[in-house]
Amino acid sequence: MDIRFDIIAHYLPVLLRGTAFTIGVSIVSIIFGSILGLGIGFGKMAPKAYFRWPFHCYINFFRGTPLYVQILIVHFGVIPAFYGSTNVLMTSFVALSLNSAAYSAEIFRAGIQSIDPGQREAAVSLGMTRAQAMRFIILPQAVKRMVPAFGNEFIVLVKDSSLLALIAAPEIMYWSNTMKGQYLRIWEPYLTAALIYFILTYSLSKLLNYIERKV
Amino acid sequence: MGMKKKWVMSAFVAFLVFAMAGCGSGSSNKAGSGSAGGETIKFASDASYAPMEYMDTDKIKGFDIDFIKAVMEEAGIDYTVTNTGWDTMLSSVKQGTEYQAGLSSVSITDERKETYDYSIPYFESTNMIMVKEGSDIKNALDLKDKKVAVQAATTADDLMSGIMGVDNGNLKRFDSNAVALMELNSGGADAVVADIAIVNEYIKNNPNEKLTGIIDKENFGSEYYGILYPKGSEWKAKLDPAIKKIIENGKYTEIYKAWFGEEPDTQTLLNAE
Repeated sequence: MDIRFDIIAHYLPVLLRGTAFTIGVSIVSIIFGSILGLGIGFGKMAPKAYFRWPFHCYINFFRGTPLYVQILIVHFGVIPAFYGSTNVLMTSFVALSLNSAAYSAEIFRAGIQSIDPGQREAAVSLGMTRAQAMRFIILPQAVKRMVPAFGNEFIVLVKDSSLLALIAAPEIMYWSNTMKGQYLRIWEPYLTAALIYFILTYSLSKLLNYIERKV
Repeated sequence: MGMKKKWVMSAFVAFLVFAMAGCGSGSSNKAGSGSAGGETIKFASDASYAPMEYMDTDKIKGFDIDFIKAVMEEAGIDYTVTNTGWDTMLSSVKQGTEYQAGLSSVSITDERKETYDYSIPYFESTNMIMVKEGSDIKNALDLKDKKVAVQAATTADDLMSGIMGVDNGNLKRFDSNAVALMELNSGGADAVVADIAIVNEYIKNNPNEKLTGIIDKENFGSEYYGILYPKGSEWKAKLDPAIKKIIENGKYTEIYKAWFGEEPDTQTLLNAE
């Protein structure tokens, strides 16, 4: 077995720090992505076509272009325009949140539209306003249906965050690239990274199964 | 019961991961003795390192390419150079079956020698600091508390890891030198550290960006590029004399001058072995 465990042991502390970065960025981005996605999802369900249009464009742009390109555009285009210089942490949050928002918006829309229109009609005929019907009747049912899709989105986000190595965000792939450079060996860094991602997503999916049962 | 199943599942996954690792090592063990009888040597390269090796549309060009042409003519052996990218080069050269050598401005370091064999040194290089004009950075030690961009997996990365600490957040490792240079232009880094040839080429090609290169011989010693071979490769013995020959007979100097416009220090190169 030609695996140098000493190299892995040497890099383990920084790889674990990279893991913490990956988890942190993913959690923040899924939260901001969902909040933003909720707004965009409602925007796309607006009754007027001209009002729907910008949301429609947003979703199509972020789902129709690679995250790889989006990260570069945010890092070298968007963030310097606001900050005056690049900022890795901001790029990580912004790029992943914007991307995740597009997918979340579709999850919200699909979830809400999956509830039978009769539910709303019934609520309105009982004297509720449309907003009340949405909040008390439709959303609680829709959220339950959205949970698995959100779980998936979160797992995808964890894996996609590996693309942040491109702009030197200190996450898991970044540190395994560093490890590769020092020794010019590729299996130790890549298999270790794969194992860490696997442990992350596998425990996450177990956790999500548990939540699904509870909701 | 459910618990038991989970354990079996986890053990199976662990097995898969290590079985993959085993495959990689299995074929690399063959490499040492298995390259006998080939009349053509196939070089793998990561041709994204102008002017050392780069793609001009679909043709591979650069100093290394002209250099190896002279070496192979001297040795009288057929060869090909293919752009495979960095990681493919590393793994396939280690196995030695599809590609028997790597030609990609690979610096010779002790840590890397644990995994590969190298030819005798064929190029002397040093790392160089690139900053914007008017910067207060004067040498490598000034970089300690600055934001520095490097290409990951290069000797610039090693050097700066040594000076700044491998886990220093201000040391930013990028996928390529091109992205590291963009980071400097976008204000995300105070300096870029890269091979002298790369920095000079970039400054020459971007006169409007007001960039300066700093050479620091004291903190950035010379480093040498070598051809990368699998451990125990027989090609080293066949090609080393040809490399030595073209350095001594002036052919090397001719190629060097054509690419860099100046004379190489061939004596240092020959002594570096």
